[in-house]
Amino acid sequence: MKKSLLVASTVLVNGLLISQVSNAATVEFWTAQTQSDRLQTIELLASTFEALNDGVTVKVVGVDENEMATQMAAAVAAGTTPQLIEVNSEIIMALGEEGIVDTQTHQGVVGDIGKSRFHTGALTTLTSPEGQYYGLPYHGWIQGIWYRKDWFDEKGLAAPNTWENIETAAKALTDKANNQYGILVGTKQDSYTEQVFTQLALSNNAAEFDDKGDLIFNSPATLETIQYYKELAKYNPPGPQNWRARDYYLQGKMGMFFYSTYIMDDLALAEVAKGSLSSENFKELSGGTFDPKLVKNTAFTPIITHKSAASYGTLSGLVALKTKSAEDAQATKDFIEFMYDPASYITFLHMAPGGMNPMLKGIAEDPAYLDDPNGVFKLYGADKMKQIVSGFDDIRSFSVVQGKTFPASGAIFAKSVIPRMIYDVTIENKDPQQALNSAEAEMKTIMGK
Amino acid sequence: MSSILVKNEAQLGLKLVAPAVGIIGLLVIYPILFNIYLSFFDVQLNGSKTFVGLDNYTDLLGNPRYYHSVGVSIVYLIGTVVGTTVLGLAASILMNQEFRFRNLARGLILLPYFAPVISVVFGWQFIFDPVNGIYNHVVVDVLHLTNERENLIGNPDSALFVVILFDIWKHFPIAYLLFLAKLQSVPKDLYEAAAIDGQNAWGRFWHVTLPELRFVIATVVLLRIIWNLNRFEDVYLLAPNVETLPIFTYYQAFAGIVDQGGAAAISVIQLLVLVGLIWLYVRKVLKW
Repeated sequence: MKKSLLVASTVLVNGLLISQVSNAATVEFWTAQTQSDRLQTIELLASTFEALNDGVTVKVVGVDENEMATQMAAAVAAGTTPQLIEVNSEIIMALGEEGIVDTQTHQGVVGDIGKSRFHTGALTTLTSPEGQYYGLPYHGWIQGIWYRKDWFDEKGLAAPNTWENIETAAKALTDKANNQYGILVGTKQDSYTEQVFTQLALSNNAAEFDDKGDLIFNSPATLETIQYYKELAKYNPPGPQNWRARDYYLQGKMGMFFYSTYIMDDLALAEVAKGSLSSENFKELSGGTFDPKLVKNTAFTPIITHKSAASYGTLSGLVALKTKSAEDAQATKDFIEFMYDPASYITFLHMAPGGMNPMLKGIAEDPAYLDDPNGVFKLYGADKMKQIVSGFDDIRSFSVVQGKTFPASGAIFAKSVIPRMIYDVTIENKDPQQALNSAEAEMKTIMGK
Repeated sequence: MSSILVKNEAQLGLKLVAPAVGIIGLLVIYPILFNIYLSFFDVQLNGSKTFVGLDNYTDLLGNPRYYHSVGVSIVYLIGTVVGTTVLGLAASILMNQEFRFRNLARGLILLPYFAPVISVVFGWQFIFDPVNGIYNHVVVDVLHLTNERENLIGNPDSALFVVILFDIWKHFPIAYLLFLAKLQSVPKDLYEAAAIDGQNAWGRFWHVTLPELRFVIATVVLLRIIWNLNRFEDVYLLAPNVETLPIFTYYQAFAGIVDQGGAAAISVIQLLVLVGLIWLYVRKVLKW
């Protein structure tokens, strides 16, 4: 409580400088942060904004990221579209193509804050081919392999930063008879699977589009990646797996797993780990006590190299949606700018230290940012933090090719074409080339619409 | 009767049914017609529509996953309908006997039906978790029946089986309830007469119980077919990789950005199939 009061007062003082909106207006804000503690923080920011702006109501609604597109469609059909949403870039690009995004508000915010203050790559990712901003980058994460450094040292294994090293280590660390697994790659039909696959595919120079926007997914490079992926999946725990299986790592039953920087606080803090272990996977199964050495024994490789070096990450952005009321639009714009104000911005990013990285230059060096309430950044130390964020410079995805964005990639993502292809190959034992052919056919259908 | 009187009566009749017709038209006929209309369009979220003719249908019928899901649905339907009916029948006959604590037992059988789907599904997932679940712990670590841990819910070969089992367990109480209600109204003298005629227990079941229950059984089967052809939440929550028709529809039309035209096309086909199936059932099996 003390903490939140402190946060509220700093935000309040900073926020006083922001212009006042006097007319009655509503900002319904859908956020993909559905955990109750995160929602509380966002509510706090919203109330602060309300206190600063007479007559403005901010309504915070938590919506699961995988459900966001569907919920949006229902809301648009029912005429109850929210004013603002926060969601990942792929969904943003798909929504942008649907013609419901208020690009003018985005233009205005970028103008007010200053284009040069945004990280260029981040802003490009959310820009339409016609140069409109489909969303505003707010926070981003990078993904890589987190692994048991102590086990690797014991067995004399090299860091899992190349395809060969990963496979060797996965094999060496798997002992299924004793319920031990070498690695976890996603095999369920959800976005986690796509994220893991994308990083491996990018490291093999596979792509969805060429720089003209033509589909080039069905290539030898992609096929090779699928075959390699299938090999890795052999060292998975049985059956379709997704990110929830990171609990197996926290329980000490797994050697390596792909995850974003969001795992940092789970590894470092007993309280967080306990919370995430028991909330969905039942208390009795939390796998014993928290391993305080885990944070020391865990290492991270953000970059995987095969034919080229690739790190993978995604960013989440704020998206203002078209609304009939000018007051609502203005209030939304003010609220977005309030969310970019350093005090509120840092409060937001501190919900997941390391997981949420700032998209505005200068925030990361801010001493207030480096002093997170739980001391996660201190636990990791400056050097490790620097290494982790280094992957962020080389953030790549399927939707941006040589600085050009192809929104169709968002629609393909939203339809889970790639995860289903992976599921077919790894779980249903479908022939990789056949699975690739049908994925390509499906992508063409989506792009034809 | 004079012709004026007939005419007036007909007019009154029309006026009396008009509100009902209006409401049904608004709530049932209009959505169906609008749905059929939508199935010929590519619909964008902002409301704009592009006429695409039969494209939504050809996309769907050219998709091998569609036929696969039809196959899965048939197995699922047969398994669950037969399973719930037989188990419900067995339980109701058992519970129709006199014994101590009969009322308590009758109530307990209903429990799976009361429990919210979401909580029981998580319970089942917890039991079958490949690394931490009790099932694997007992089979592999305690009984040493096999060395391989298995993901029964995740493995596509067994997932359908688990989903069917789950549905039978969760929904047989409703069949049981309906059967028991009817069984209690079967006159005792029918059984006595059959006994006098020299029928044993099996004979009494065959010649008295079944004929008496016939229409209730037929109704239960009909309801289960309709429910289970449209059942989404149980299957999706427990094993989203078991692609019955509703799950297929969800992935095609509602996962990610909603493809309203495609979704409409799927539901039109599903409606036709369901109507055809029920028509066949009512005519051939129920002989109504």
